[in-house]
Amino acid sequence: MTDNPYVFTLVSALVTTAFIIAACVGLGGLARLVVRLTGGNLRRQDQAYAGYFFAAPWIVGFLIFVVIPMLASLYWSFTNYRIGQPTAVVGLENYSRLILEDREFRGSLVNTLFLTLIGVPLQIGVALGLAVLLNQKLKGERTFRVTFYLPVILGFNAAVLLCWRLMLNASNGIIDQAIRALSNASPVVSALNRGLIYVVEVVNGFFLGLTNGNYTLLQRVLETGFPAANRVPMWIQTPLWSKMSVILLMVWICGSMMLIFLAGLQATPRELLEAAEVDGAGSWRRFWKITFPLLTPYVFYNLVLGLIAALQIFEPVYVLYRDNQPLAPSAYSMVYYLYQATFRFNEIGYGSAISWLILIIIAVASMIQFRLQSRWVEYEIR
Amino acid sequence: MTRRVAWVLGRCGLYVLLTAASILMTFPLFWMISTSLKSLEEANAPRIIWIPSAVVLDAYRSVLADPDFLRAYVNSAFYAALALAGTLVSIAAVAYAFSRIQWPGRNVVFALMLSTLMIPAQALIVPQYVFFSRLGWIGTFNPLIIPGFFAGGAAMIFLLRQAMAQIPKELEESAIIDGASHLRIWWEVVLPLVKAPLATVSTFLFVGFWNNLLGPLLYAQTSRLQTLPVYVAQLYNINNTIQPWPTIMASAVLTTVPLFIVFFLAQRFILESVVLSGLKG
Repeated sequence: MTDNPYVFTLVSALVTTAFIIAACVGLGGLARLVVRLTGGNLRRQDQAYAGYFFAAPWIVGFLIFVVIPMLASLYWSFTNYRIGQPTAVVGLENYSRLILEDREFRGSLVNTLFLTLIGVPLQIGVALGLAVLLNQKLKGERTFRVTFYLPVILGFNAAVLLCWRLMLNASNGIIDQAIRALSNASPVVSALNRGLIYVVEVVNGFFLGLTNGNYTLLQRVLETGFPAANRVPMWIQTPLWSKMSVILLMVWICGSMMLIFLAGLQATPRELLEAAEVDGAGSWRRFWKITFPLLTPYVFYNLVLGLIAALQIFEPVYVLYRDNQPLAPSAYSMVYYLYQATFRFNEIGYGSAISWLILIIIAVASMIQFRLQSRWVEYEIR
Repeated sequence: MTRRVAWVLGRCGLYVLLTAASILMTFPLFWMISTSLKSLEEANAPRIIWIPSAVVLDAYRSVLADPDFLRAYVNSAFYAALALAGTLVSIAAVAYAFSRIQWPGRNVVFALMLSTLMIPAQALIVPQYVFFSRLGWIGTFNPLIIPGFFAGGAAMIFLLRQAMAQIPKELEESAIIDGASHLRIWWEVVLPLVKAPLATVSTFLFVGFWNNLLGPLLYAQTSRLQTLPVYVAQLYNINNTIQPWPTIMASAVLTTVPLFIVFFLAQRFILESVVLSGLKG
């Protein structure tokens, strides 16, 4: 057609628009016909026409971009399909290679587990803390709210992530320099810093052991013992810390979870809290006996969304670790691994198997969460 | 008296905590701007330099003189604008169908739409890539823009639907009696009443397009089509002996300026909509 990419896309957009309008009229007409043949009156016919006319863009898009791709990829997941090469059905080979042999896939699973077990609770904790602080009828509450939400908008832009890469640098990054300065100034901060480093490295050593099948890194951490006084976190330098940088970013963008908690806090009935206060319950007790139980549905909602988000983390891994090959796999999320494994050699068959495993994992994890929710989520106070 | 003192102290403590949290949350942005104004030596100095000793604009000059950067800016703006237009109109139409019209099958289709919320878009990226490559669309903007025209984004449809469902029925009934078509009611009655949610949805969509990295990496890799995130990400090269941090941060600042503008224009709508619908961007 044309060499100019802008003109090409503008023309495509016009053609698409024409196609969608045709689909609207077609689908609406079809719906009207069906209603007429099943004996619907004129009003019902008109409603069917209008409803399908307006919903058609989504229905058609759902078929083209969701249903057909999902079915195609289900089929391809049983083949060795690569773009531009002959395809053969290989049965369950992709899946068995993924589950039994592929160390990087297992690594991405373990990383997602780590982010879900440690990152998401931290995120939820900070979001809840900020929401409680904001829910005190303060002057200037709005400004704080906007400030805490800002990272959600900027957060995963590659440009902002590069700034984090600058700040997380171990030798002259601002974060470690600040930690160093504070540790030198106060022995309490120093002890806290060393204790935290120890805990982080032991926990990460354990999870890396799960990935690698051997625990040499964990052993090395334990043999070294309590970190020396001049130690600082090694954010983007070692596998022991690579996931912690991602968690730091997750906590930074907890603003949307915070807003959801704020909505929950504002829905807490005043009378209950006031009655408890009259009965002499302190604010700490009131929070844990009344406010928190009423917030559990919101915690649950954030947990479900947090897990799905953890599976999909892409930009931070790309910007922080893409060019640091031996280290990068220790921070791969499942979606990053999907991208990496599929498009390195355009292995569509293998990538399809990964996609389906991700979908199955989300379905199973959500089901487990919904099962467990009756044990701790309270929809009314008892 | 003691109660009053305790209350005042508590308030002060609260403000101290919130201010400290705000400083931590916005620090990366401060650092980005500060670094972009430093000289190369100060940016790579092994000690903390909070504010550059002298403001140096060299980084901005070199970024703005780089034709690749300018082209990436144009590409990002083109992508975001066209994708936003198509997505917004189609989402507004679908939300209207789900909120203002009673049609057979509506509940089933609506439930289907909500179920797609659980599917991460990236899980479909492999078969979609094959689809676009068969259309001959790899190396064009089409795969980034065209899917949006089909009401891409179930969360955004849901947000708009919730807003439209709250409009009282009588408003359009009188319009129907006057003989207005659904198309006119949609455009002239309903859409003007949901301006705030439309602003929210537009902001979320714009931010999503502006920040998108995976899509352009797959489909728009050639230098002619490069968008800002891809351009900025490749500025940092691990093989550099000295990283050109002022230049990188200057382009980072320029990349994020539109996000700031859009967010501050729309923040009052966003905060309310997110709370109302319990949705995230």
